Amino acid sequence: MDIKEIQNLIKFVAKSGASEVKLEMDDIKITIKTGSDDKGESTTYVQQIPMGQAHVAQAPAPVAAPIVASAPAADENSKYITIKSPIIGTFYRKPSPDKPMFVEVGTSIKEGDVLCVIEAMKLFNEIESEVSGKIVKILVDDSSPVEFDQPLFLVDPS
Amino acid sequence: MRIIKLDAIDSTNTYLKKLSVAGHAEDGLALVAKLQTQGRGQMGTIWEAQEAKNLTFSVFKDVSFLEVSQHFYISMAVSLAVFEALNSLGLKDVKVKWPNDILSDNKKIAGILIENVIKMNVISGSVIGIGLNVNQTDFSALPSASSLLLLSGQVHNLDEVLDVILKQIEIHFNYLKQEAFSFLKASYESQLFRKDKPSTFTNAEGSLFSGYIVGISNHGQLLIKVEDEIIKRFDFKEVALLY
Repeated sequence: MDIKEIQNLIKFVAKSGASEVKLEMDDIKITIKTGSDDKGESTTYVQQIPMGQAHVAQAPAPVAAPIVASAPAADENSKYITIKSPIIGTFYRKPSPDKPMFVEVGTSIKEGDVLCVIEAMKLFNEIESEVSGKIVKILVDDSSPVEFDQPLFLVDPS
Repeated sequence: MRIIKLDAIDSTNTYLKKLSVAGHAEDGLALVAKLQTQGRGQMGTIWEAQEAKNLTFSVFKDVSFLEVSQHFYISMAVSLAVFEALNSLGLKDVKVKWPNDILSDNKKIAGILIENVIKMNVISGSVIGIGLNVNQTDFSALPSASSLLLLSGQVHNLDEVLDVILKQIEIHFNYLKQEAFSFLKASYESQLFRKDKPSTFTNAEGSLFSGYIVGISNHGQLLIKVEDEIIKRFDFKEVALLY
């Protein structure tokens, strides 16, 4: 479990309205307490959520909604595979400006198909798909900068 | 080292990439064309070369031993290989203009286009395209370009020049394999064009600024010392050196 997952978990718990969640896994044990039952304080916290994690913010559940209300939204996304950028650079959806896009939303892809080019310092890196499936979402605009590990595509492997 | 020679091809890089995807390219395979009809530079720019006067070729290298984050070392290794090859052919004042143009006597003589294929966070192959002006003498359309012939006064045999470069590529990729990273970086930095000289640049917004090139970051960004001894990092699109 990395920092990001823990952060997401904290947001998730805060949003659920639960005051305390204990989670135990193979090598990790986490207890998250939402601090106080003071509604005022927890409301301010919740308001920050939409800025951070689109993943959680997608479910416009009220503050006090039970956990089950937002769980299906998480499942929805978790069945997709996220393809992330292996390097810092500029994301290109075409091999060159006069060529068609490598993939569009809805394109069926096979493992090994080129999804995009990430250019860094004049090195052009073609990113091949690790999975077969269908492109569900393209998360970055053509010709924009990307960070290491930034999600680029959502792929439905089914 | 296998060399495939073609009379004409759209782009040696494109063709070699197709061969590698189909599993027909082994480490060190070179593809050389007398004429490239759609020679490419970076992203949509073109590389023009007169038929049979210049070298246009691509080499496939297996770099799966390299971390993806170290990919700029490929660029350093190739730049240094071309640099050493031209030095050994007797060319004067050879420099590497960041990130990977080769200059002699302030004129561009070679261009490099590197295309990697990344899968599962591994660089499965690197296709290295090199265009070198050898025996061309007319550059009326490109005043900042030159050739081996113009700079050395000698006509060169294309096969011999190719052989020298391919050998240097092997040598420098062996350094990569041996993880001689600091050596490669120090060598690359020591040959950088305009290093430690007062220079003028334009930034991404087009405004001018002055500074000194001091080196590169591990990711290949150019390090420029600007006012107040501040060292700034620049990506390829963020800066252009005026010369």
